[in-house]
Amino acid sequence: MPYLGSEDVVKELKKALCNPHIQADRLRYRNVIQRVIRYMTQGLDMSGVFMEMVKASATVDIVQKKLVYLYMCTYAPLKPDLALLAINTLCKDCSDPNPMVRGLALRSMCSLRMPGVQEYIQQPILNGLRDKASYVRRVAVLGCAKMHNLHGDSEVDGALVNELYSLLRDQDPIVVVNCLRSLEEILKQEGGIVINKPIAHHLLNRMSKLDQWGQAEVLNFLLRYQPRSEEELFDILNLLDSFLKSGSPGVVMGATKLFLILAKKFPHVQTDVLVRVKGPLLAACSSESRELCFVALCHVRQILHSLPGHFSSHYKKFFCSYSEPHYIKLQKVEVLCELVNDENVQQVLEELRGYCTDVSADFAQAAIFAIGSIARTYTDQCVQILTELLGLRQEHITTVVVQTFRDLVWLCPQCTEAVCQALPGCEENIQDSEGKQALIWLLGVHGERIPNAPYVLEDFVENVKSETFPAVKMELLTALLRLFLSRPAECQDMLGRLLYYCIEEEKDMAVRDRGLFYYRLLLVGIDEVKRILCSPKSDPTLGLLEDPAERPVNSWASDFNTLVPVYGKSRWATISKCHGAERCGPELPKTSSFAASGPLIPEENKERVQEVPDSGTLMLVPNLQLTADYFEKTWLSLKVAHQQVLPWQGEFHPDTLQMALQVVNIQTIAMSRAGARPWKAYLSAQDDTGCLFLTELLWKPENSEMQISVKQNETRTETLKSFISVLETVIGTIEEIKS
Amino acid sequence: MIHSLFLINCSGDIFLEKHWKSVVSQSVCDYFFEAQEKAADVENVPPVISTPHHYLISIYRDKLFFVSVIQTEVPPLFVIEFLHRVADTFQDYFGECSEAAIKDNVVIVYELLEEMLDNGFPLATESNILKELIKPPTILRSVVNSITGSSNVGDTLPTGQLSNIPWRRAGVKYTNNEAYFDVIEEIDAIIDKSGSTVFAEIQGVIDACIKLSGMPDLSLSFMNPRLLDDVSFHPCIRFKRWESERVLSFIPPDGNFRLISYRVSSQNLVAIPVYVKHSISFKENSSCGRFDITIGPKQNMGKTIEGITVTVHMPKVVLNMNLTPTQGSYTFDPVTKVLTWDVGKITPQKLPSLKGLVNLQSGAPKPEENPSLNIQFKIQQLAISGLKVNRLDMYGEKYKPFKGVKYVTKAGKFQVRT
Repeated sequence: MPYLGSEDVVKELKKALCNPHIQADRLRYRNVIQRVIRYMTQGLDMSGVFMEMVKASATVDIVQKKLVYLYMCTYAPLKPDLALLAINTLCKDCSDPNPMVRGLALRSMCSLRMPGVQEYIQQPILNGLRDKASYVRRVAVLGCAKMHNLHGDSEVDGALVNELYSLLRDQDPIVVVNCLRSLEEILKQEGGIVINKPIAHHLLNRMSKLDQWGQAEVLNFLLRYQPRSEEELFDILNLLDSFLKSGSPGVVMGATKLFLILAKKFPHVQTDVLVRVKGPLLAACSSESRELCFVALCHVRQILHSLPGHFSSHYKKFFCSYSEPHYIKLQKVEVLCELVNDENVQQVLEELRGYCTDVSADFAQAAIFAIGSIARTYTDQCVQILTELLGLRQEHITTVVVQTFRDLVWLCPQCTEAVCQALPGCEENIQDSEGKQALIWLLGVHGERIPNAPYVLEDFVENVKSETFPAVKMELLTALLRLFLSRPAECQDMLGRLLYYCIEEEKDMAVRDRGLFYYRLLLVGIDEVKRILCSPKSDPTLGLLEDPAERPVNSWASDFNTLVPVYGKSRWATISKCHGAERCGPELPKTSSFAASGPLIPEENKERVQEVPDSGTLMLVPNLQLTADYFEKTWLSLKVAHQQVLPWQGEFHPDTLQMALQVVNIQTIAMSRAGARPWKAYLSAQDDTGCLFLTELLWKPENSEMQISVKQNETRTETLKSFISVLETVIGTIEEIKS
Repeated sequence: MIHSLFLINCSGDIFLEKHWKSVVSQSVCDYFFEAQEKAADVENVPPVISTPHHYLISIYRDKLFFVSVIQTEVPPLFVIEFLHRVADTFQDYFGECSEAAIKDNVVIVYELLEEMLDNGFPLATESNILKELIKPPTILRSVVNSITGSSNVGDTLPTGQLSNIPWRRAGVKYTNNEAYFDVIEEIDAIIDKSGSTVFAEIQGVIDACIKLSGMPDLSLSFMNPRLLDDVSFHPCIRFKRWESERVLSFIPPDGNFRLISYRVSSQNLVAIPVYVKHSISFKENSSCGRFDITIGPKQNMGKTIEGITVTVHMPKVVLNMNLTPTQGSYTFDPVTKVLTWDVGKITPQKLPSLKGLVNLQSGAPKPEENPSLNIQFKIQQLAISGLKVNRLDMYGEKYKPFKGVKYVTKAGKFQVRT
């Protein structure tokens, strides 16, 4: 391997490159250069021959030039002083009569990525923007963005930006798209390129001339444009119609998203569009490329959230075939359980039943969980299938079935009887912690209907010493105590033994504490035990028992064709939060702690959270003490400085809100009790300059909106704005968490 | 958009990397390897992986992973499509998209990547434009090059870059003007135990190879255009004309390209050309089982079915198989437990069959489920959906082109459950 003798190789190549005989022979010279490149790509350090390579760039041979440029771009950051020597040659090439050479030289120069190169590339780029060959213009336009990145500061060259804006009218479609890309990067600080009406219409008219990548990107940029009138809106939609049938799935998805966003006030148009892209989406779902399938399936799931019946007649498309990779099978199973309806439930269940015995345990378990979630609607059929599966006596199947049963009896109590009949015998085939916990829980809660429940639990008590999972022991304690309440005679003895073991011998603190707790509870008396253990089982406000409501299309339209459907909203939020936090840096403990408190920071709010500390004008003082009297007096003496209405759907929990506000140093002075309608709260906050913000929140459930009125003891619009944005962020986040 | 690209082979070596913006360290791939380890099988590595600073979007093609590093939110389909385009281009240039081919042509690979992306954005991806920028390697050309010393790069700019129609270069000239169309249909189907169809669908494409001088304007019409369900078009096709008249009217790109792709999904239209009789059984408490399958033609419209291969993933407890084929040859890999039977052609007089004994691991419980059979086949001269091209007309040029249409039907994901 060359790795070993790297120095020798460099020496040898250096000699070869300097050899005038080789230099005279074009072919041999080029071969030596190719060898240098080959070693370079293998990770060998070839920077030793930099000088010789720079010399080799002075040639008419284009291949040789290309190779040398490639070499230079790789090593320029390592040898900036030597690379400056190469710039001369590059500058000369930028005015070569051959447009290909001009383009190549300009592109390489912009990619050198070393400090100090900016002053040399500025003029060639400006010349390139006005070059008559479109190839050079394309390179030059992107070069502008590279130059901007090299500068590193946020200073935007106004003249350059104007030049790029005017190049949007270029006749070459790729130059146009590159202008958009370049402007977007240069203007990142200011929120990217602005799409006004003339630009939007110009782009729309050029759409058909672009290649698929250009189309996809332009569709993305057009999302920023808001048509003025309904007429204009529908004109645009008509123009874009054919892109819904494009051969490229990326373009189809881009067009779909644009339709959904533009038509956000016309639900029937949105539905219509989703019907029309059904075909292309389904085609993508069975595409040759498994990655495309996967992403398409994720989007199908997204659509199903709003239109549950949308793909029901195509359910067979989502049947798994043996050879597909796992991630696709898992998505398909998810889709299947979301599109199930009265007509196809039989077939879908039969199909899922087949997957339950799949060779891959993961997939089999996913299929069982899927049956479990269908069981919430079609209980009887599913429970029957699940019961049959128990008969297979396979460990990985039994444990998941029992877990499904546990969730099921809680969500659909009507199936308790059937589940209780199926349970006996399961204990022999369960080894893992999750499965044991589920079984023990079921035996504890419904033990009075399962004849052998105490004996099964007794086995667990016997073997408790060798039990490795603390969670199982905790579950066992609770279950046995419950069963003791309904069948005291059979359980008293072993409960005693278990409590003794847990309190005297157990090493795990949590288990021991739980044991002690139950022991003391028993000392208080059996009625107290009953009151604690058998109180109402679930809080209806948790909303777990209800079907997840259909989500309006608008709630996810902005996530369509992004990575959100791939990850699911909540996971995506955590991921993007990490990325956001990284960018913020550690010097902002206030925002980052806030970000950690809520599991979800919606995309648009994330931006704002970061903005607040950046502006540096608003610092709220922690632990502001304000009496209610003082608040009332000040409140009445001031005028409303700002009033605003935020949308707020459905229920909410004042406690969560209060906690979240606390995190950003906004104190709650008073609020109505939970459930009051309309609901009110008074908040106060003070910034470091002593400016006081008093706020009233008024929630009117019937209009599903939250009205915010803010008063200020000093009139300062800047800080007021920052304060409002903090408040909006908090409320937006809570709203998000809830949905 | 796309920051960097890493090519990784099955054993986990990064054998090529290319960076378009700043250099991203190879260590970012550790997240990918982690996911790969977790997935156990290389096929199951999820295509989108998130890391603390980047997203990795990857595709798996021909035993290679193309892993792209993304720093900002992007439409995932866009990136996936682009990666496939890169792989397609390699395939196109080197005849295969393998590690060896890429390593042999590493210089051309770099040249290609340089032209396909600039600053992370796709630039030239059309094969006919790329081929003018960078000539593909051929044995003949490398011989000629070594004699004349000429390069494998075009000295002039591709003229296509200047024409008004982005997909066609100006001033194309051929001595023989030809237009060929391949109608290729693949049947995706799942057949259940009893032989009835659970699911069937045809995925069709029309690939074109057009070598016509000047700026020809073509229109292609079908005998039965209503057959086509979901059609997606190459950008050159005039969509409005299709909507109103069901005629494909277009100025074609030069060379090979995919004109349309379509689906035929109403099940009664999808003919299933083969049937399989099977009896696979494992006895309780015994270390052997029986295996017997026979293949025969069903609705084959009078054409020969050829190139048949049957692949079966046997359950893990199978140790070995002792079979006799009446036709073709079979192999069983005791490690992966894959049985492959290369059948060849079906002759209706004597149906091919494969039967014999299966040796099981003794003492292990009998498998819960019988394995599925994956079947590959090919039928020439037939589009199973019945789609027929009616005529091809050319406007805008005076010469008479040579025209041809070829039909072929293949099995896609064709699975028989037993």
